[in-house]
Amino acid sequence: MRERIVRAGGLVVVVAYAATIAWVYARQPQTMAQVSGGLAAGLGAYHIDEASFVDGLRFFRRDQFMEARAAFDRADPAQRDAATQFYISYTYYREGWGHLYDDRRLFARGLEAVDRAIALAPKGRLVVDDPDLQMHSADELKAELQRGVQRDLSPLRVFRSRK
Amino acid sequence: MSAAREAVALPVLFLTVALLGGVSPGPPVAFVPPPLFALVLAVLLMAVLFRSGVLIPARLVDGSRSALANANGVVVIVTLYAATAQAFHLLTPSSGLPLLLFDGFLLVLLINTFVTSPDRVELLRSLMVIFGSGFVLKFIILASLSDPAGGRLKRALLLLVEGATLGTLTQEPMPPSVGYIAFFTLLLFLVGVWALPAAPPRHHSRAMTRS
Repeated sequence: MRERIVRAGGLVVVVAYAATIAWVYARQPQTMAQVSGGLAAGLGAYHIDEASFVDGLRFFRRDQFMEARAAFDRADPAQRDAATQFYISYTYYREGWGHLYDDRRLFARGLEAVDRAIALAPKGRLVVDDPDLQMHSADELKAELQRGVQRDLSPLRVFRSRK
Repeated sequence: MSAAREAVALPVLFLTVALLGGVSPGPPVAFVPPPLFALVLAVLLMAVLFRSGVLIPARLVDGSRSALANANGVVVIVTLYAATAQAFHLLTPSSGLPLLLFDGFLLVLLINTFVTSPDRVELLRSLMVIFGSGFVLKFIILASLSDPAGGRLKRALLLLVEGATLGTLTQEPMPPSVGYIAFFTLLLFLVGVWALPAAPPRHHSRAMTRS
């Protein structure tokens, strides 16, 4: 009886360990926070730090984008929350946006974040109901960031407004 | 072999090798799956282990064992294969002429070992030599050649070597932790292979035949 328990328990432990390794190789986490957060998310036990998220939103609305990103990163250290990743992407968009030219480096980082948000959202559809934003869906934000990354020589761009 | 060793210790040990074998501490940290050639080398080594009596499938999967025990046995074989592939991945340089030479050398060495079919003890000794010398070549000699730090003489020698080999010898500089992780991983792998169930002693069957 004891041997059966050892064998069955061993099988469960090994399958769980193998699944963790497969997950690590598939997702390529960069930090221990991402590892633990990813595993917690897999079990449905991952939650963002609400206080840090609220701090991030406050900074975001004051156009303090670097501070906002720091707070959002603290709120979602494992990068497992679609809405937080959406806001991080939005900070890159607003910080990188310009009448004459967009900062491509920031827009590229924004694209990475919005791609993460889309990947995390159910069926890839993410809508953020925030009246302070002019783009509410991840699709709009991604399209805007992609347009910014491409070279736009049109003189009419000076009449655009930041969303 | 005890149930704990077969169901827990060996699979966990081999999975740890499979995990650490592909770790590139970076930055950025990356987990690299084994290349195709490492899979081929792993198949060859599994065949050599089988032929030399280090791996005896009948001790792990057999009709006389329970379904649960057979499942544990299958897990040991599968994880051993994954660990072997990652051990070869760890041992081979990442690019250039050394990669080609190491792969060719390992292929010939394994085929030769397969043909000569050494016994269990001889194969374990041979594996220690193969993995030990591979480790020294990659993580000490090649790493030292590829290290950009050093005096003028070393840099001049490196420049000569680079010129003579058309830049195909030196590798990407590795963080110091890589060597320690590799040493620990290869040691774990060898311990795991050594701990595989050996053939049962034969004197019982002889005695029964005599009686």
